[in-house]
Amino acid sequence: MPSLVARGIRKRYGGVVALDGAELTLERGEVHALIGSNGCGKSTLCKIITGAVGADAGELILDGRAVSFAGPADAVAAGIDMFYQELSLIPAMTVAENIYLGREPLTRLGLVDRAALRAQAAAAIAEFGEALGLGVDPDAAVSDLSADQRQIIEILKVLARQARIIIFDEATAALDRHQVGILFEHLTRLRSDGRSIIFISHRIDEVFAIADRVTVMRNGGNVMTRRIAEVTRDEVVTAMVGDTQLTRSEAHHRPRPEPALRVEGLDAGKLAGVSMTLRRGEIVGLGGLHGQGQSDFLRALYGVVPIRSGTIEIGGKAFDPKGPLAAMRQSLAYVSGERTRFGIMAIRPIFENLVLTLLVRDRHVVVARRRLEATISPIIARLALKFSSLAAPASDLSGGNQQKVVIARMLAARPTILLLDDPTKGIDLGAKADLYGIMDDLCAQDVSILLYSTDDKELLSVCDRIVVLNGGRIVAELAGDERTELALYRAAYASGTDASA
Amino acid sequence: MPAPDAISTPSPEPPRRSPQPGLSRYRRPYLLAAAVLIVLAATNVALEPNFLTFGVAASNLSAFLPLTLAAIGQTYVVLASDIDLSNGAIVSLVNVTAVTIIDGMHGSIGLGLAAGLGVGLAAGAVNGMFVAYLRYQAIVTTFATGVAFSGLALWVLPQAGGQVPASFYTSYAGSYLFVPTVAWILIAASAFAALIARLRFYHSLRAVGGNMQAAFQTGVAVARVRLAAYVISGFFAALSGLALVGETASGDPLIGGGFTLSSITAVVLGGTALSGGVGSVLGSVLGAFILGLISNVIFFAQAPFAWQGLIQGAIILLALSGGVVIARRSGD
Repeated sequence: MPSLVARGIRKRYGGVVALDGAELTLERGEVHALIGSNGCGKSTLCKIITGAVGADAGELILDGRAVSFAGPADAVAAGIDMFYQELSLIPAMTVAENIYLGREPLTRLGLVDRAALRAQAAAAIAEFGEALGLGVDPDAAVSDLSADQRQIIEILKVLARQARIIIFDEATAALDRHQVGILFEHLTRLRSDGRSIIFISHRIDEVFAIADRVTVMRNGGNVMTRRIAEVTRDEVVTAMVGDTQLTRSEAHHRPRPEPALRVEGLDAGKLAGVSMTLRRGEIVGLGGLHGQGQSDFLRALYGVVPIRSGTIEIGGKAFDPKGPLAAMRQSLAYVSGERTRFGIMAIRPIFENLVLTLLVRDRHVVVARRRLEATISPIIARLALKFSSLAAPASDLSGGNQQKVVIARMLAARPTILLLDDPTKGIDLGAKADLYGIMDDLCAQDVSILLYSTDDKELLSVCDRIVVLNGGRIVAELAGDERTELALYRAAYASGTDASA
Repeated sequence: MPAPDAISTPSPEPPRRSPQPGLSRYRRPYLLAAAVLIVLAATNVALEPNFLTFGVAASNLSAFLPLTLAAIGQTYVVLASDIDLSNGAIVSLVNVTAVTIIDGMHGSIGLGLAAGLGVGLAAGAVNGMFVAYLRYQAIVTTFATGVAFSGLALWVLPQAGGQVPASFYTSYAGSYLFVPTVAWILIAASAFAALIARLRFYHSLRAVGGNMQAAFQTGVAVARVRLAAYVISGFFAALSGLALVGETASGDPLIGGGFTLSSITAVVLGGTALSGGVGSVLGSVLGAFILGLISNVIFFAQAPFAWQGLIQGAIILLALSGGVVIARRSGD
C-alpha cells in the first residue's frame, strides 16, 4: 500500500489556476522528486498535503484512508511534515527553541526541561558538525545566523519531528556541496527507516543523485512519473517544457547600434558582478529560475535596492541611482508585477493612480486636473484601458487593467528605458496581448526595455535577446535562433558554469 | 547538454557571520530598564533620604502594585504581537464588582474576590475570542470592549463609593512574617510569571509573536495561544482591580482609566517589543516601577504643578530613547 496518494487535486487563487487535477503516489521508503518550472504548482500541492493550504477539490489518502487536514497541526499529528522554502523559524528565538518548537522536552512536573532541550539540540547540531560553520550553538539566536545556517536549522527542525512523510521544498537552495552531502546522508537513512520523502529541487543533478522516482509537473498537473534509473536528464527537461519545445522566438525589433544602458560589474542584492548592454529600441529579457537576482537587477537600476559596486551608464553618461526620483529624472521607469504591493493605491481614484509620476516628477503644488487629463488621455486610449469613470477607485479594475494603470502612469513620464519586473503576473490574455503591442510600439520609438518574466514563453515571444541569470550571475545569453524553450530551460536548470555550454 | 555527475552549487558560499552580541537584547531585554530604574532610585534617595526605610518602601510598593500587575498581564498580550486597550477598563470593572458584592453581601470578602477574578478572566476571554478566533483587529477590538467594560463598571457602581470591612484593607496594608502583604502579592505574581515562563505555552507565545505564519506552519495552536494571552491579561487586570480595593478601601468606576496606556508604556520601557516575540515580565515590572518613581521624583523635587505633566512626559521619552538607540545599534 502506498504511504500517501493525492488524487485529482484542484486549487485556484482568484482567477489563477494553480492545480488542475494533480496526482502523486508516494511509496513507503522512497525519495520521490517533484520537479517542474516556476508556478507549475508543486509548492501548492505540497502545502495542500501538509494542510497549510486547503484544496478546492480532490482527495488525500494516507495509508489507505482518506484524510483531510484543517491545518498543519493536523498533518503533523498524522506524521506529515514539511521543510518550508521560506523557512518557518522564529528569528528572536534560540536554535534549540526553534528546533523543538511545540515539542519541547518536559520534566515530570510538565515544565520545559531546558537542560534536555539544550542537550538534544546540541546533539542535532553535532550531526552537521563543522559544515554548519561558526557561531551555531543551542543558545544562538536564529537572527544571528547566516542564510545557509538557518536553512540547516530548518532541516534539523523537520528531522527532529521524526515524521513518516517529509517534504523538502527547495531545502538545498542556500547550501554548499558539503552541506548538501550531509543532508543526503540523512535522507538515505530516513529512506532505509521506511520513511517517505518528497524532494523538490531546481537542481536536476541533485534529483538524479538522491531520488528513486521523479514526477514532473507542468501547468498545475503532472505529466510524467518515472523511476530515476529509467530516465535521462534530457527526458526530464523535455517533459518540463512540454510539446511546445519547438517554439522559436519571432521577435525582431530593429535596435539601433548605440547603447541606451551599459552596466559593468554590478553588485546589488543577490546580483554578483553583472555586466550587460541594452541598446536603443531593444527588448532584453532576464531569464532563469525565480529569484536569481532578476528583480534585484531591475530594482537596483531604479534606485530601490542599494548598489554595492559597479558602474551604470545611461546614454554614455555615468548614472548613480540614488532613488526612484533620481531614476525617473534619468527617464527610467519601473513597473512591478506586484501591483498590490508596489503599484496600485487600491482605494484611491484611477485618476490619482494615473498621474502620480507626473505629480512627483514635476513637483506640482497645485493639481491642474484638466491639463493632466490631457496628458494622460492619449496613453489611456493607446493602452485600451477599460474603466467606468476616472473617479472610481482603482480596486474596481481587473488585474490586467490595474497593471495597465501602473504602466500608463510610467509612460506618462515618457521614459527612454522601461524596467518591467514580471509585469504580466496574474493578468488575463487580452491584457497581455495589449501589453506586448505597446512594448513593440515603444521599441519602434527607440525606447529600450528590460523585461523579467517568470513566464518563459513570454520572454521567448517578445525579447530580442535573453540573458539567463543563476545565483546572481549571467550564465548564458540567447540571441537569434538560440531563443528556444529548450535552450532557455537548459541554461536555467543546469548548474553554475555548465549552463553556458 | 553536458551532464555533470557531481552536485554543483550555483551560488557562491554566503559569508558567515560570527556570533553577534544581538542576543543579549533578546535574552535580557530588561537590562536597560534596570539601569534606568537604578538612576531614578538614586535620584529619589537624594531628594528624599528616607526613601529606603521600611515604611516608605512599603508604601511606595503599595502605590506601584496595581499598575505593576496590569503591566504584567499586558506583557503576555504584547508578546503575542497583540495589544490590550481594555485592561484599564477591566481594572475598573473588577474593582467596582468586588466592592459592590462585598458591600452588598455584608462583608463576604471571599465571594467578592472570586467574583472580581471571574469578571477579569471572562473579560479577557471575550477579547481573546474576538481577536484570536474571529480575527478582529486587536487594537480597535480591545478599544471597543474597553468602552463596553467601562460602561458596565458605571452601571455596577455609578459613583465612587461603597465600603469594605476594615479587616480587608488593614491586612492589605499590613505585614505577614515581617514582609508587607503587597510584597507577598508581588512575589506570588512573579512566581506565577516564572512558572508560565517554564511552560511550553511560553515558547509557543513567543513563537506566535515572533512570526505568526511560521508558528502556524510548525503546528502551534496560534488562536488558542492568543486567547490564553488575553485571559492572562484579564486575570492580572483583575488582581490589579482587587489591589486597588485594598489600597482605597472603596470602589471607583473610573479608577483604571489611566492604566491602559500606562501599562503599555511600562511594557515598552521594560524592553518588550510592541511587534511581539521579544520581551519579559521582569522588564514590565521594572517599567512600572520606573513610571512610579518618575512621579515620585517630580513630587519630591517640588516641581510646579503646571509643569509636572511636561516633565513626566520628557523623562519617559528619555527612558524610551535608550531602547531605540540600542535597537539601532544591533542592526534592526
